[in-house]
Amino acid sequence: MPPDNGAFMVAAYVVTAAVVLGYVVSLALRLRDERRRARN
Amino acid sequence: MMTVERANRLARVGQVITMVALAGLVGVYVRALEYTPVERMQGLAQKIFYLHVPAAWATFLAFGIAGFLSVLYLWLKDRRIDLVAEASAEVGVALSIILLTTGPIWGKPIWGTWWTWDARLTSTLFLFLLFVGYLLLRGAVTDPVQRARFSAVIGVMGLALIPFIHMTVYLFRTLHPDPIILKPSAPSLPGAMLVTLLASFGVFTLLYAGLVTQRYALGALRELRLEREAHAAG
Repeated sequence: MPPDNGAFMVAAYVVTAAVVLGYVVSLALRLRDERRRARN
Repeated sequence: MMTVERANRLARVGQVITMVALAGLVGVYVRALEYTPVERMQGLAQKIFYLHVPAAWATFLAFGIAGFLSVLYLWLKDRRIDLVAEASAEVGVALSIILLTTGPIWGKPIWGTWWTWDARLTSTLFLFLLFVGYLLLRGAVTDPVQRARFSAVIGVMGLALIPFIHMTVYLFRTLHPDPIILKPSAPSLPGAMLVTLLASFGVFTLLYAGLVTQRYALGALRELRLEREAHAAG
Protein backbone atom coordinates (compact mmCIF):
# COMPACT_ATOMS: atom_id res chain seq x y z
CA MET A 1 0.00 0.00 0.00
CA PRO A 2 1.66 3.33 -1.06
CA PRO A 3 1.89 6.06 1.63
CA ASP A 4 -0.86 8.69 1.76
CA ASN A 5 1.02 11.87 0.76
CA GLY A 6 -1.07 13.26 -2.12
CA ALA A 7 -1.30 16.71 -0.47
CA PHE A 8 2.45 17.25 -1.04
CA MET A 9 2.02 16.37 -4.72
CA VAL A 10 -0.89 18.81 -5.08
CA ALA A 11 1.13 21.56 -3.34
CA ALA A 12 4.10 21.08 -5.70
CA TYR A 13 1.90 21.17 -8.82
CA VAL A 14 0.06 24.28 -7.60
CA VAL A 15 3.32 26.09 -6.71
CA THR A 16 4.83 25.28 -10.13
CA ALA A 17 1.74 26.55 -11.97
CA ALA A 18 1.70 29.72 -9.83
CA VAL A 19 5.39 30.51 -10.45
CA VAL A 20 5.15 29.85 -14.22
CA LEU A 21 1.95 31.84 -14.69
CA GLY A 22 3.18 34.63 -12.40
CA TYR A 23 6.35 35.05 -14.44
CA VAL A 24 4.53 34.81 -17.80
CA VAL A 25 2.07 37.55 -16.69
CA SER A 26 4.89 39.72 -15.29
CA LEU A 27 6.75 39.51 -18.62
CA ALA A 28 3.59 40.26 -20.62
CA LEU A 29 2.83 43.35 -18.49
CA ARG A 30 6.39 44.67 -18.71
CA LEU A 31 6.43 44.12 -22.48
CA ARG A 32 3.08 45.91 -22.89
CA ASP A 33 4.38 48.84 -20.85
CA GLU A 34 7.61 49.05 -22.87
CA ARG A 35 5.75 48.83 -26.20
CA ARG A 36 3.45 51.66 -25.09
CA ARG A 37 6.47 53.79 -24.21
CA ALA A 38 8.05 52.97 -27.58
CA ARG A 39 4.96 54.32 -29.36
CA ASN A 40 4.97 57.61 -27.40
CA MET B 1 21.22 46.35 -35.47
CA MET B 2 18.07 45.93 -33.34
CA THR B 3 15.06 48.12 -34.15
CA VAL B 4 11.76 48.60 -32.30
CA GLU B 5 9.94 46.67 -35.05
CA ARG B 6 12.39 43.79 -34.83
CA ALA B 7 12.16 43.67 -31.02
CA ASN B 8 8.35 43.67 -31.22
CA ARG B 9 8.44 40.82 -33.74
CA LEU B 10 10.79 38.87 -31.47
CA ALA B 11 8.46 39.45 -28.50
CA ARG B 12 5.54 38.04 -30.52
CA VAL B 13 7.58 34.95 -31.49
CA GLY B 14 8.46 34.49 -27.81
CA GLN B 15 4.80 34.78 -26.80
CA VAL B 16 3.78 32.12 -29.33
CA ILE B 17 6.51 29.72 -28.13
CA THR B 18 5.48 30.38 -24.50
CA MET B 19 1.80 29.67 -25.28
CA VAL B 20 2.73 26.37 -26.95
CA ALA B 21 4.90 25.50 -23.93
CA LEU B 22 2.04 26.34 -21.52
CA ALA B 23 -0.29 24.04 -23.49
CA GLY B 24 2.45 21.39 -23.27
CA LEU B 25 2.69 21.94 -19.50
CA VAL B 26 -1.06 21.28 -19.17
CA GLY B 27 -0.46 18.06 -21.15
CA VAL B 28 2.37 17.07 -18.79
CA TYR B 29 0.11 17.71 -15.76
CA VAL B 30 -2.64 15.49 -17.23
CA ARG B 31 -0.21 12.74 -18.23
CA ALA B 32 1.70 12.80 -14.92
CA LEU B 33 -1.38 12.92 -12.68
CA GLU B 34 -3.76 10.64 -14.63
CA TYR B 35 -1.78 8.31 -16.88
CA THR B 36 1.53 7.67 -15.11
CA PRO B 37 1.59 4.86 -12.50
CA VAL B 38 1.98 5.62 -8.79
CA GLU B 39 5.35 4.55 -7.44
CA ARG B 40 4.86 1.81 -4.79
CA MET B 41 7.33 3.00 -2.12
CA GLN B 42 6.93 6.82 -2.35
CA GLY B 43 3.25 7.06 -3.30
CA LEU B 44 1.79 10.15 -4.98
CA ALA B 45 4.61 12.42 -3.75
CA GLN B 46 6.92 10.73 -6.28
CA LYS B 47 4.99 12.51 -9.06
CA ILE B 48 6.70 15.75 -7.95
CA PHE B 49 9.67 14.23 -9.77
CA TYR B 50 8.06 15.11 -13.18
CA LEU B 51 8.30 18.82 -12.33
CA HIS B 52 11.32 18.96 -10.03
CA VAL B 53 13.82 17.21 -12.34
CA PRO B 54 12.87 19.10 -15.56
CA ALA B 55 12.87 22.36 -13.56
CA ALA B 56 16.41 21.49 -12.44
CA TRP B 57 17.42 20.82 -16.06
CA ALA B 58 15.92 24.11 -17.28
CA THR B 59 17.49 26.03 -14.37
CA PHE B 60 20.97 24.73 -15.11
CA LEU B 61 20.42 25.26 -18.85
CA ALA B 62 19.42 28.89 -18.18
CA PHE B 63 22.28 29.63 -15.78
CA GLY B 64 24.73 27.69 -17.98
CA ILE B 65 23.78 29.76 -21.04
CA ALA B 66 23.93 32.98 -18.99
CA GLY B 67 27.42 31.97 -17.80
CA PHE B 68 28.63 30.95 -21.25
CA LEU B 69 27.36 34.22 -22.76
CA SER B 70 29.10 36.11 -19.95
CA VAL B 71 32.41 34.58 -21.04
CA LEU B 72 31.55 35.48 -24.64
CA TYR B 73 30.66 39.07 -23.64
CA LEU B 74 33.97 39.59 -21.83
CA TRP B 75 35.69 38.48 -25.03
CA LEU B 76 33.58 40.16 -27.76
CA LYS B 77 32.01 43.10 -25.82
CA ASP B 78 28.78 42.84 -27.83
CA ARG B 79 25.75 44.45 -26.08
CA ARG B 80 23.33 41.92 -27.58
CA ILE B 81 25.21 39.06 -25.90
CA ASP B 82 24.89 40.86 -22.56
CA LEU B 83 21.13 41.28 -23.09
CA VAL B 84 20.61 37.57 -23.86
CA ALA B 85 22.71 36.66 -20.79
CA GLU B 86 20.52 38.93 -18.66
CA ALA B 87 17.36 37.36 -20.11
CA SER B 88 18.65 33.84 -19.44
CA ALA B 89 19.68 34.73 -15.88
CA GLU B 90 16.24 36.18 -15.03
CA VAL B 91 14.39 33.18 -16.49
CA GLY B 92 16.83 30.92 -14.60
CA VAL B 93 15.96 32.64 -11.31
CA ALA B 94 12.22 32.07 -11.99
CA LEU B 95 12.83 28.40 -12.84
CA SER B 96 15.06 27.87 -9.81
CA ILE B 97 12.22 29.07 -7.56
CA ILE B 98 10.28 26.03 -8.88
CA LEU B 99 13.33 23.82 -8.27
CA LEU B 100 13.90 25.12 -4.73
CA THR B 101 10.23 24.87 -3.68
CA THR B 102 9.29 21.51 -5.23
CA GLY B 103 12.46 19.94 -3.75
CA PRO B 104 11.56 20.57 -0.10
CA ILE B 105 7.87 19.72 -0.75
CA TRP B 106 9.07 16.34 -2.07
CA GLY B 107 11.74 15.96 0.62
CA LYS B 108 9.38 16.35 3.59
CA PRO B 109 7.30 13.16 3.04
CA ILE B 110 10.26 11.10 1.70
CA TRP B 111 13.25 12.22 3.82
CA GLY B 112 11.23 13.46 6.80
CA THR B 113 12.66 16.98 6.54
CA TRP B 114 12.02 20.06 4.38
CA TRP B 115 15.69 20.95 4.05
CA THR B 116 19.13 19.66 4.86
CA TRP B 117 22.39 21.60 4.50
CA ASP B 118 24.10 18.98 2.38
CA ALA B 119 26.37 19.74 -0.59
CA ARG B 120 23.76 19.40 -3.40
CA LEU B 121 21.03 21.50 -1.78
CA THR B 122 23.38 24.13 -0.36
CA SER B 123 25.32 24.64 -3.60
CA THR B 124 22.06 24.91 -5.61
CA LEU B 125 20.79 27.54 -3.15
CA PHE B 126 24.12 29.35 -3.48
CA LEU B 127 23.81 29.35 -7.30
CA PHE B 128 20.29 30.82 -6.99
CA LEU B 129 21.53 33.56 -4.64
CA LEU B 130 24.46 34.28 -6.95
CA PHE B 131 22.11 34.98 -9.88
CA VAL B 132 19.74 37.00 -7.66
CA GLY B 133 22.84 39.07 -6.89
CA TYR B 134 23.56 39.26 -10.64
CA LEU B 135 20.10 40.79 -11.25
CA LEU B 136 20.34 43.15 -8.26
CA LEU B 137 23.74 44.36 -9.47
CA ARG B 138 22.29 45.06 -12.93
CA GLY B 139 19.57 47.14 -11.32
CA ALA B 140 22.10 49.13 -9.28
CA VAL B 141 24.69 50.03 -11.96
CA THR B 142 23.54 52.72 -14.39
CA ASP B 143 26.45 52.75 -16.85
CA PRO B 144 25.63 50.02 -19.43
CA VAL B 145 29.25 49.06 -20.16
CA GLN B 146 30.17 48.74 -16.47
CA ARG B 147 26.90 46.91 -15.76
CA ALA B 148 27.59 44.38 -18.49
CA ARG B 149 31.20 43.81 -17.41
CA PHE B 150 30.50 43.47 -13.67
CA SER B 151 27.53 41.14 -14.16
CA ALA B 152 29.46 39.03 -16.69
CA VAL B 153 32.05 38.30 -13.98
CA ILE B 154 29.26 36.99 -11.70
CA GLY B 155 27.88 34.98 -14.65
CA VAL B 156 31.26 33.29 -15.15
CA MET B 157 31.36 32.38 -11.43
CA GLY B 158 27.90 30.80 -11.79
CA LEU B 159 29.06 28.81 -14.83
CA ALA B 160 31.99 27.41 -12.83
CA LEU B 161 29.58 26.22 -10.10
CA ILE B 162 27.32 24.15 -12.38
CA PRO B 163 29.57 21.09 -13.00
CA PHE B 164 30.44 21.10 -9.29
CA ILE B 165 26.73 20.96 -8.36
CA HIS B 166 26.21 18.02 -10.77
CA MET B 167 29.12 16.13 -9.16
CA THR B 168 28.14 16.79 -5.52
CA VAL B 169 26.12 13.55 -5.27
CA TYR B 170 29.28 11.59 -6.17
CA LEU B 171 31.78 13.67 -4.17
CA PHE B 172 29.89 14.06 -0.88
CA ARG B 173 27.56 12.05 1.36
CA THR B 174 24.14 13.51 0.59
CA LEU B 175 20.46 12.65 0.99
CA HIS B 176 19.86 13.70 -2.62
CA PRO B 177 19.55 10.73 -5.05
CA ASP B 178 22.05 10.16 -7.89
CA PRO B 179 21.10 11.30 -11.44
CA ILE B 180 18.79 8.88 -13.26
CA ILE B 181 19.07 10.42 -16.77
CA LEU B 182 22.35 12.37 -16.97
CA LYS B 183 24.63 9.43 -16.11
CA PRO B 184 26.94 7.12 -18.09
CA SER B 185 24.55 4.08 -18.06
CA ALA B 186 20.97 3.84 -19.43
CA PRO B 187 18.14 5.70 -17.58
CA SER B 188 16.85 3.59 -14.65
CA LEU B 189 13.12 4.26 -14.95
CA PRO B 190 10.08 2.23 -16.17
CA GLY B 191 8.86 3.12 -19.68
CA ALA B 192 5.66 5.03 -18.77
CA MET B 193 7.50 7.16 -16.20
CA LEU B 194 10.37 7.82 -18.59
CA VAL B 195 7.99 9.05 -21.34
CA THR B 196 6.33 11.50 -18.90
CA LEU B 197 9.71 12.71 -17.68
CA LEU B 198 11.06 13.22 -21.22
CA ALA B 199 7.87 15.07 -22.25
CA SER B 200 8.32 17.35 -19.25
CA PHE B 201 11.96 17.93 -20.18
CA GLY B 202 10.81 19.02 -23.66
CA VAL B 203 8.12 21.34 -22.27
CA PHE B 204 10.44 23.02 -19.78
CA THR B 205 13.06 23.52 -22.51
CA LEU B 206 10.44 25.08 -24.79
CA LEU B 207 9.18 27.24 -21.92
CA TYR B 208 12.73 28.45 -21.32
CA ALA B 209 13.13 29.30 -25.03
CA GLY B 210 9.84 31.25 -25.13
CA LEU B 211 10.52 33.18 -21.93
CA VAL B 212 14.10 34.07 -22.87
CA THR B 213 12.99 35.31 -26.30
CA GLN B 214 10.39 37.58 -24.68
CA ARG B 215 12.78 38.79 -21.99
CA TYR B 216 15.46 39.56 -24.57
CA ALA B 217 12.92 41.56 -26.62
CA LEU B 218 11.96 43.45 -23.44
CA GLY B 219 15.63 44.25 -22.72
CA ALA B 220 16.18 45.40 -26.30
CA LEU B 221 13.08 47.66 -26.27
CA ARG B 222 14.22 49.18 -22.96
CA GLU B 223 17.72 49.75 -24.33
CA LEU B 224 16.35 51.44 -27.47
CA ARG B 225 14.11 53.71 -25.37
CA LEU B 226 17.00 54.75 -23.09
CA GLU B 227 19.13 55.51 -26.17
CA ARG B 228 16.30 57.64 -27.62
CA GLU B 229 15.85 59.49 -24.31
CA ALA B 230 19.61 60.13 -23.99
CA HIS B 231 19.71 61.38 -27.59
CA ALA B 232 16.73 63.70 -26.99
CA ALA B 233 18.32 65.07 -23.80
CA GLY B 234 21.30 66.15 -25.79
